[in-house]
Amino acid sequence: MFDRDVWTEIFHSIKKNKLRTFLTGFSVAWGIFILVLLLASVNGMKNGFTSQFNDDATNSIFISPSVTTMPYDGFEANRRIKFTNKDIEYIKGNFKEEVEFITPRFRKGVSAKYKKETGSYSVRAVSPSHQYIEKTLIQSGRFLNDNDINSKLKVVVIGRKVKEDLFDDEDPLGKTIVVNNSTFRVVGVFTDEGNDREERYLYIPVTTMQRLYSNTDEINQILLTYNPTYSFAEAISFSETLEIVLKRRHRIHPDDQGAIFLNNNAEGFSDVTNFTNMLNYISVGVGLLILLAGIVGIGNILVFIIKERTKEIGIRKSLGARPNQIINLVLLESVFITTFSGFGGMLVAMGLIGLVGPSIKAPAFADPSVELSTIVTATIILVVSGVFAGLIPAIKAARVRPIVALNAD
Amino acid sequence: MIEIKKLHKSYPMGKDSLHVLKGLDLHIKEGEFVSIMGSSGSGKSTLLNIVGLLDIHDEGEYYLNGQLIEKLDEKKAAILRNKFLGFVFQSFNLITYKTALENVALPLYYKGVGRKERQEVAMEYLDKVELKDWANHLPSELSGGQKQRVAIARALVTEPKVVLADEPTGALDSTTSHSVMELLKEINREGMTVFVITHEEEIAAETDRIVRLKDGVIISDEKVKKLEKA
Repeated sequence: MFDRDVWTEIFHSIKKNKLRTFLTGFSVAWGIFILVLLLASVNGMKNGFTSQFNDDATNSIFISPSVTTMPYDGFEANRRIKFTNKDIEYIKGNFKEEVEFITPRFRKGVSAKYKKETGSYSVRAVSPSHQYIEKTLIQSGRFLNDNDINSKLKVVVIGRKVKEDLFDDEDPLGKTIVVNNSTFRVVGVFTDEGNDREERYLYIPVTTMQRLYSNTDEINQILLTYNPTYSFAEAISFSETLEIVLKRRHRIHPDDQGAIFLNNNAEGFSDVTNFTNMLNYISVGVGLLILLAGIVGIGNILVFIIKERTKEIGIRKSLGARPNQIINLVLLESVFITTFSGFGGMLVAMGLIGLVGPSIKAPAFADPSVELSTIVTATIILVVSGVFAGLIPAIKAARVRPIVALNAD
Repeated sequence: MIEIKKLHKSYPMGKDSLHVLKGLDLHIKEGEFVSIMGSSGSGKSTLLNIVGLLDIHDEGEYYLNGQLIEKLDEKKAAILRNKFLGFVFQSFNLITYKTALENVALPLYYKGVGRKERQEVAMEYLDKVELKDWANHLPSELSGGQKQRVAIARALVTEPKVVLADEPTGALDSTTSHSVMELLKEINREGMTVFVITHEEEIAAETDRIVRLKDGVIISDEKVKKLEKA
């Protein structure tokens, strides 16, 4: 393989057919170019999706009560299920290992007023853990704490947009705003990576909300994050267990699909992962098909070259060339052309990605890049395809009978 | 050196087959200078191809250097050709994009000789055929006679047991033909077995023994009288 004479032969043959070699090499380079671009784009999409999902913790589960659809245990269908603080306590007590953070959530549309400014917003009554589940970022002040909950304090953490609306340039911390006729003291301002809508919320302690507005211990929704070390399968199994337990607690038929909605973020995230994986497969498929055209091209040209060199092969055989030496010659030439031009295509594609990639600004697209594994895979594909392209012509060449070859002109 | 017993060879021609060699018996001893004479279609080229291991016979026995040739695959044939046989063809069959030196060195490459030694030995043989000064020329820059001398150097470079020459002068004028035959004679005098195929009486007359072939059988096999030799 590292025989100087073999390479001399190959370079000679390439030099003799410059245009043809270039055209074939180009088709392989083009195939690899497209393959790499496609993979990088899929990578970009994947990164884009992942960063969008970063809004909420990826290991979060949202549980909402609804209405039963099946009669069970003496109850009629169409019974409204209500979650209370006791459900939170129950989950906390029974799933110590499984649950990382848990919070109730109680939502209500309100109007908020500061001095002359008024606006309509949504209040989320939650516990301090909510900050980690929703990935709320504190811009100034603080989020709700345990003392707020226990003492049922009338404190509020407002979103950046709320702050802009009501306070303009004024520092809101320590100021009092009127929320549906009750006064709340602002203790913090938050931002959220998700979107503007998230920043139009007001957060108040869940206990305060329950006392002020309904005087019950009812809650709208339970949010929790599970153990972050869980695999996807473990996460799904945990949310299934949780659903069974909650159904038992609330006397819901085990097969009732409507009474409780349990939304595991892992499922959504896994959907996206499946989606991008599928895109990945498709682009690999498309890239390989284009590459295949290039390989067929090389094979075609090699067959032609062999036909042209039939006499020469005959001479070589009469001088004692063994069949595998002939195969070697043809295969190496093929591998050389595919690998060389393939790397060319790859470099151009990577250059293009490096140049254009960072300036692409689209919602579901970020940081398109080529992984090392892509490069390794492409290299293997190139060498293998070179071998495949050369195989048929090489075997054809080795099978040439010296006597026939010598008579050919 | 070459021993052939009851050799048969046919080529399929559509439904029928063409019986080219019909039971040849031939024995060529080491150091002989033999010519096979015959018109086209007499089977002389087929004989040379079989002797040269470029083709396989159907029936009969063929011993090369005492070794029975049978069940020959491409690889085995290639090794035997490289080891025992040197070819000289009518159309020279030099590789067009290789220099004279590279052409002569090629059999040594297939023999597995190192690059440097190949160059030296090839140069030695080019010198022998008086073409040392043309070592770095391409075949297209050489005359017919020079090309054939390069081909002879190439046939000799592996020190084979037999040189097989298929109409070696067929593409040359009479003066050049003569000098090529002189070269072959010289090689023979040095002990090489030379096997020439020709249809020209004058060429055959320069060898020591003439075997005449007609329609696939040997019709005569006689020594050339010393007096007739120059």
